[in-house]
Amino acid sequence: MNVVFLIAIPLLAAFISILIKKYASYLLVAVGLFNIAVLIFSKNGIVFIGGFDTTISANLLGITLLLDTYTRIALWVVNVLILVIAVLNIKTYRDYGSILLLAMAGLNGLLLTNDLFNLFVFLEISGIAAYLLSTSNKKPVSTFRYLLYGAIGSSLFLFGVVILYSMYGTLNMVVMIREISASNNYTEVILPFILMFIGLGVEAKLLPFNAWVKGVLGNSNVLSGPMIAGVYMAAMSFVLGRLVTNLFVFEGTLLTVVTLILVLGIVVGDLMAFSSSKVREILLFSSIAQSSIIILLFVNGLTIWAVYLIVANALSKTVMFLVINKATAETENDEVDSLKGLFVHNNIVGLTFTLAALSVMGLPLLVGFVIKLNYLTALAGAGQITLIAVILLASLIEGIYLVRLLVKLWYKGEKDLRVEYHFSFKMVFIAIALSLLVFGNYSTPLNELDNSIDTVSEVVNNG
Amino acid sequence: MRKLFGLAITFALGLVIILALNNTVNFPAFGEVNLSERISGAYLSEDNVEEVGSANLVTSIVIGFRTFDTLGEVTVLFISSLGVAFILGRKKQKRMNLNFKPNFMLRVGSNILLAIILVTSFYIILHGHLSPGGGFPGGAMIASSVLLLYLADDRFRSNIKGFKLLEGFAGSLFVIIGLLGLVFATAFFANYLPTGTIGNFLSAGIIPIIYVLIGLKVGSEIAGIIDNFLTEEERA
Repeated sequence: MNVVFLIAIPLLAAFISILIKKYASYLLVAVGLFNIAVLIFSKNGIVFIGGFDTTISANLLGITLLLDTYTRIALWVVNVLILVIAVLNIKTYRDYGSILLLAMAGLNGLLLTNDLFNLFVFLEISGIAAYLLSTSNKKPVSTFRYLLYGAIGSSLFLFGVVILYSMYGTLNMVVMIREISASNNYTEVILPFILMFIGLGVEAKLLPFNAWVKGVLGNSNVLSGPMIAGVYMAAMSFVLGRLVTNLFVFEGTLLTVVTLILVLGIVVGDLMAFSSSKVREILLFSSIAQSSIIILLFVNGLTIWAVYLIVANALSKTVMFLVINKATAETENDEVDSLKGLFVHNNIVGLTFTLAALSVMGLPLLVGFVIKLNYLTALAGAGQITLIAVILLASLIEGIYLVRLLVKLWYKGEKDLRVEYHFSFKMVFIAIALSLLVFGNYSTPLNELDNSIDTVSEVVNNG
Repeated sequence: MRKLFGLAITFALGLVIILALNNTVNFPAFGEVNLSERISGAYLSEDNVEEVGSANLVTSIVIGFRTFDTLGEVTVLFISSLGVAFILGRKKQKRMNLNFKPNFMLRVGSNILLAIILVTSFYIILHGHLSPGGGFPGGAMIASSVLLLYLADDRFRSNIKGFKLLEGFAGSLFVIIGLLGLVFATAFFANYLPTGTIGNFLSAGIIPIIYVLIGLKVGSEIAGIIDNFLTEEERA
């Protein structure tokens, strides 16, 4: 099946959904299922939109989509998670059906496109959808701040694309990579790369472009929390990773600066989480630190482990935000102390939350451990001892605050706290926790994939 | 202090941009690019223009080579108007009170003007493949005629349900026309209708059809936004 369906059908459904508002959320679930079918039956390769040329070397005018193993993993994560979140919220957030459909189209487009301006267009669509999702928090000021940061970020990204286009006269990523390496003059492309990196850094929650995160995720609910901390975070990391590994050339001083920013992001993120007493803030600062680690791995060329880290992180954060946001919706307060004893009456939920948290920390038996062990080994092989020291130190801080949080949530407080989790929520938690456990113990499939993630140029050249 | 810091950063960034782009080999001064040496010059080559069939070169890029981007841009406007309606127009709305009373002459005069604006906007939309203009400016003109009615008559309410219907249908048809490209040709948004002779009114295949849909969609979306901004919640 043609992968353009992944973008076209959600868009079509979004346009239709405003005519049949009542059924928008059902339409969303149907389209989500359809997308999964498309993912199963589609083949890797390049899709030419408009059908102007049939070979990539000649195609310089039309827009192309590129589906390879990297994109396929990203699409699976995004589409499955959106479907799960849509099903869980089918009754509570009915009005958001059209917006979720547009978010789906935007994120799929973002991941599939092989054209830099097209990337910007989808960045806008998914960005505006995210601002609208954050309105469900009922905190207009933080939504407005998110909108401002997002708008400035995507303008900087566009500015970078404009400079690149006026230099090389093409927007096609594959052709652009070819032209840049042919011109062999990397100092000229530093500025556009930095602008684009900052632009995507806003959405990927990298320090210091992430001042919006606290307001949006700190007040999030069962819809906006998992969508922005899970789905959007995964998609944006994938997109930034694609550009970092293929297009951007970080060398010399620039590499040092970028590494320094990311290392700061890891340390500051974990320290902020350590000093916070609100559960949602602990989770959001922890995801800021995680996203910096992910991009750091991409910058160091450890693509495969960055990809696994994104997937594991998206799954764990989805569970954690769903558990906490469901509870805070009832307690109306997310101080750790007011959620004391949350798991006393919810053992299964508590167990899955604990597994997700332990996987984020990277404890043995869970998938987080396998990933951490592998990327630390790879970094050691590359002689990056300082980075290893930073990551280990951050893991230590992370371990302390997550264990402290878990202890408080498990031990009974002064009040008897009862939160009802619907059966469907429990099923999702169990499924995700099981997958974290299974892949933590049986990592052969992960190691096998190791060889099949190529760069864009390799994919194009080898067919 | 924070503002001063912000100002310093802005100036520093500006300086960096100027220094980085000044006197570089690959970034020539505006208007001094030799297009024949550039990849983008191919947009202007005769074969490629004939393949799309639009006499307006800008249209041949916007609705020919890069229709997919245009679909995206239409979606950006769609989601923006959806957002405005989502935030401002959730309950039953009534007209906001203007602090002037429009008189009879203004109302009749604006109706005459309305007809002229609409005819011009339809002309611009229908000739988008031949002359400057097209769906976006034409659609914005349709919406401006609605704005005129709102300003000239303090009791006027446009038929928002009708506009919503139009918006949904035009958007869906836009995507369906693209999908039909997979049936009648090989690619999404392939131009499967005959392109005819360049310069004729009936030419350029699916381009004029797409422009009509974009015009209707843009017009109804902006009209919806205008309605949201000029109405308020009814107090119970």
